[in-house]
Amino acid sequence: MTTLLLSPKYLHWMANGLAMTAWVAFIVIIAATISGFLLALARNSTHRGLRTLATAYVQIFRNTPLLIQLFFWYFGAPNLLPESAMTWLNTPHQWPLPGITLAWPSFEFLAAVFGLTLYATAFIAEDIRSGLRGVPGAQMEAGLSTGLTHWQTLRYIVLPQALRITQPPLFGQYMNIVKNSSLTMGIGLAELSYTSRQVEAASFLTFQAFGVATLGYIGIIALIEALSQFARRRAALPGRA
Amino acid sequence: MDALIVIWHNLDYLLWGAFPDGPLGGAALTLLLSIGSAVASAVLGALLGIALTFSRGVVGHALTLVLAFLRAIPVLMLIFWTYFLLPIVFGLDVPGLLPVMCALSLISAAYLAHAVHAGILAIPAGQWDAGYSVGFTRGQVLRYVVLPQALRMMVPSFVNQWITLIKDTSLAYIVGVSELSTIASQVSNRVMIHPVPIFLFAGAIYFVICAALDWAAGRAARGFTQPA
Repeated sequence: MTTLLLSPKYLHWMANGLAMTAWVAFIVIIAATISGFLLALARNSTHRGLRTLATAYVQIFRNTPLLIQLFFWYFGAPNLLPESAMTWLNTPHQWPLPGITLAWPSFEFLAAVFGLTLYATAFIAEDIRSGLRGVPGAQMEAGLSTGLTHWQTLRYIVLPQALRITQPPLFGQYMNIVKNSSLTMGIGLAELSYTSRQVEAASFLTFQAFGVATLGYIGIIALIEALSQFARRRAALPGRA
Repeated sequence: MDALIVIWHNLDYLLWGAFPDGPLGGAALTLLLSIGSAVASAVLGALLGIALTFSRGVVGHALTLVLAFLRAIPVLMLIFWTYFLLPIVFGLDVPGLLPVMCALSLISAAYLAHAVHAGILAIPAGQWDAGYSVGFTRGQVLRYVVLPQALRMMVPSFVNQWITLIKDTSLAYIVGVSELSTIASQVSNRVMIHPVPIFLFAGAIYFVICAALDWAAGRAARGFTQPA
């Protein structure tokens, strides 16, 4: 029976991998939601040059593989950045935060978060944009005619409705971020897929190693699905499903 | 300038690997892998979509569960499963290309199945009744009346899924299949000092393939909707 299960040592490795996957995904979800929102506004901007740039960004980042993008940032950064910047990134830094000490992340981690965020931004921007398009133009006019400014109308009238439309595809993108984080093993980040390969190589327990990792991913995806259902119920209008 | 010379010197290798002296690789293998998986995923996706529409009870629930499972796990995880399980199941040494193709087609088929399912449901019931009234069986109505109309609506879903699939062929890197991403990182490791132009070049090839598919599909879709 002992050979059928993973020993505590290997389970500990996998737990570390799972924590890394969750941590990376969490940071990327927050960062990409903010930058995706800004990119969506740029796509709808009245400034023509800004609009063209934003469109080009979406086209390029959506039509090339994430793995190539990660390779580009990870292997290319030392050539793109000045030497002093690379040295700064590779030396541990500490900020005196009260009570907690944050360990400075590895360069793999920085490249992974950066690459995943830029990739996810393009997809999230498109979902937010279609949400904004789903709000009838008359809503904006109605807001302006009651004396609200353009920003106030956007903030209090248009965005709450757009977010309700965007919410389901947005959570779908969050699931994609979790799944896409598996590619960062390609640049050597010790996340869940990476550790499952490590455990497999060390223990030869193929089924168990990949089984535990698969369950880990399904667990995170199920959690996001539950959050999505919760958010949908909270945002539901009275009298509507 | 130096960087362009590096790409020029490795151009053959990036485009088709060691072929014709050795096995096919690079961009040519990426294309082959994409086309093979795209065809397999379309056939499997259509069959699963039809099955999803017409199965009830336990079979229907089991099918929904399997499709949900395939959509919940990373492609990379399924590549691991097929890469290590296929040789065990078949008891022989399969080349790395086959497990990757299996994983890519299975995941794409799971997404396409839902598109096909939605497409079939979107055909008005009157079309079914009309088919039955001229004496068609259920299979014949599906084959001659419903599917031709439903497939037309599904073209955008198929194209989007295939673009995802083309990008996902890069994951073959993880199990060492010598497609474009693997070759690009090989060249980059060998040359050492020019990762930026090499990965830009590889990215550009993927971009051209994906954009070309998107463009062709857009043209085809316009052709479909124009009155005969």
